[in-house]
Amino acid sequence: MTPPAHDLGTMPAPGALSRSNGGAFALPSLRPSAVTLARWSRAATPMAFLAPFIILVGVFTYWPLIDLVYLSFVRMNPFGPDAFVAMDNYAGVISNTQFRDAAVNSLIYIFGSIPLKVVLPLAVAVFIWTMSARLGNVYRSVLFVPTLLSFVVVAIIWIWMLNPVMGLLQTVISPFGLRLPNLLSNRETAIHVIIFVSSWKVIGFNVLLYLAGLSAIGKDYIEAMRLDGANDWTIFRKLIVPLLSPTIFFVAISTVVFTIQQVFTPIDIMTGGGPLNATTNIFYIVYQYLFESFNVGYSAAGTVLIFLFLGFLVAIKIAVLEKRVHYH
Amino acid sequence: MLVLSRPWRIIGQVLLFSLAATIVAPLLLVVFTSFKPPNEIYAGLPWPQSPTFQNYIDVFEKLSLAIYLWNSIATTVLRVAGQLVLAVLAAYAFARFQFPGRGLLFALVLGAMMIPHQLTFLPIYLMITKLGWFDTWTALIVPNLAMPLAVLLLRQHLLSFPRELYDAASMDGASELRILWSVVLPNLKPILAALTIVLFVDCWNEYFWPLVVTETEAAMTAQIGVRRFLNAEQGDDLGPLMAAMTIVSLPALAVFLFFQRQIIQTFVSVGVKG
Repeated sequence: MTPPAHDLGTMPAPGALSRSNGGAFALPSLRPSAVTLARWSRAATPMAFLAPFIILVGVFTYWPLIDLVYLSFVRMNPFGPDAFVAMDNYAGVISNTQFRDAAVNSLIYIFGSIPLKVVLPLAVAVFIWTMSARLGNVYRSVLFVPTLLSFVVVAIIWIWMLNPVMGLLQTVISPFGLRLPNLLSNRETAIHVIIFVSSWKVIGFNVLLYLAGLSAIGKDYIEAMRLDGANDWTIFRKLIVPLLSPTIFFVAISTVVFTIQQVFTPIDIMTGGGPLNATTNIFYIVYQYLFESFNVGYSAAGTVLIFLFLGFLVAIKIAVLEKRVHYH
Repeated sequence: MLVLSRPWRIIGQVLLFSLAATIVAPLLLVVFTSFKPPNEIYAGLPWPQSPTFQNYIDVFEKLSLAIYLWNSIATTVLRVAGQLVLAVLAAYAFARFQFPGRGLLFALVLGAMMIPHQLTFLPIYLMITKLGWFDTWTALIVPNLAMPLAVLLLRQHLLSFPRELYDAASMDGASELRILWSVVLPNLKPILAALTIVLFVDCWNEYFWPLVVTETEAAMTAQIGVRRFLNAEQGDDLGPLMAAMTIVSLPALAVFLFFQRQIIQTFVSVGVKG
């Protein structure tokens, strides 16, 4: 006697899980009534199906989070019990100039990415949307290709392209008597090169997200606005942007949350965090604490701080999604 | 459909053409260079004048790319297969049954989706060294087997199936595994195919995790291998490096050429949910 599948509630919006599935949270009463027993025995099959997945999530996602908090409060000792050091690791990390540089850079990565990862793809998507289907499809596919390449390959391509001696860019500009500076060894420019490279990789993907949103806009609205004498810019500003606002918000918040994780690979391959910490970020620094300074406590404390920061971002995301970024 | 005025149309064409050029030109150059003999690499035309396979032979003979590729292929196949099996089982349990704790467990799965590897790598790394898994295939596969996104996507598809589908099979006295295997799975084929491709690309291109848990040729994957060539060559010997980059990029691009539409759709639905 399984309840009908369509009664089981629809898919909750990301982050909206607290509202739905209401009944399923209720625990059975302690008195083992016949009903309770029946419910538990009915749970045997689904529990067996779920067990492998849930155990793995527990062991490799939730347990590590708890362990991480523990590790952030101790100094590991390979020959004896770990020493409790209270907030020492946190104090150490916060006063560490490398970590401060990394935190500032992370904000540069986040805000510096918005024009290329959020705004440019919006413009590109609108242009593709207004093109002939054939040409639009060609562009859509070409722009999508970097999504399928690994970041290792992408980073090496751009190291080579931007090489001041033999890179493609130097070859292109040398007939004009121009010399390409070494952008990756310059403290001012290196971080922007990495922002550019990581944008190059995701533009096509974000364009796809926008195109999915655009496909829902009816042409009646556009025609109505045309009859009122609206020009392209007005239609974009007054109709397309408001109707796309949920997608724009989604792309923006994903950019904010993912950029600092995503740039790990280009940082590691293109600059190693340098020159002079100019390109390092918080994820890269906690990696280096572990594998270069062998400091487990710092690595753990730094990661907990990142976790709190990301949690804060996700809370904003949920709060805004609950409010619904919508025009209706 | 919006029809743009002439100036905007021209701006759009110029913008898209230049963007596409920044993508196509470097990629073509990589492929061309991989077929160049050493004397043509720094001089002359973008394309090879006397194309050669020597670089491709070199990456296998001198740089032992084969062993890295083998590690990548084997661990990707095993991991994706495991991810699919576990996700199908879990999604089916969530979609078909009503049981105590379902909401809580589903919330745990959703929550796990938001926690990237880079937050948990330290404790898992310590765990793996303690278990003696460091630098093994196991370290690459097991910690990544549970894929919450896959559960979410499959569950949603299962919820859209009509209830009669299951009921007819139940009445015939089929066991749940039987129903899953012979009734549900055939209906899930399209989404499973698309999901396989996404999981494959995700695993094949991974850099961070193999960087953390591998150290030697016993487990190093192709991406790490390419990275090693870069360090070893220091840009002196571009030909073999470009050949290696072409080889490791080929599988994902080839699959894309054949299943373009499905891939784009799946990436979008995965992206929208992630």
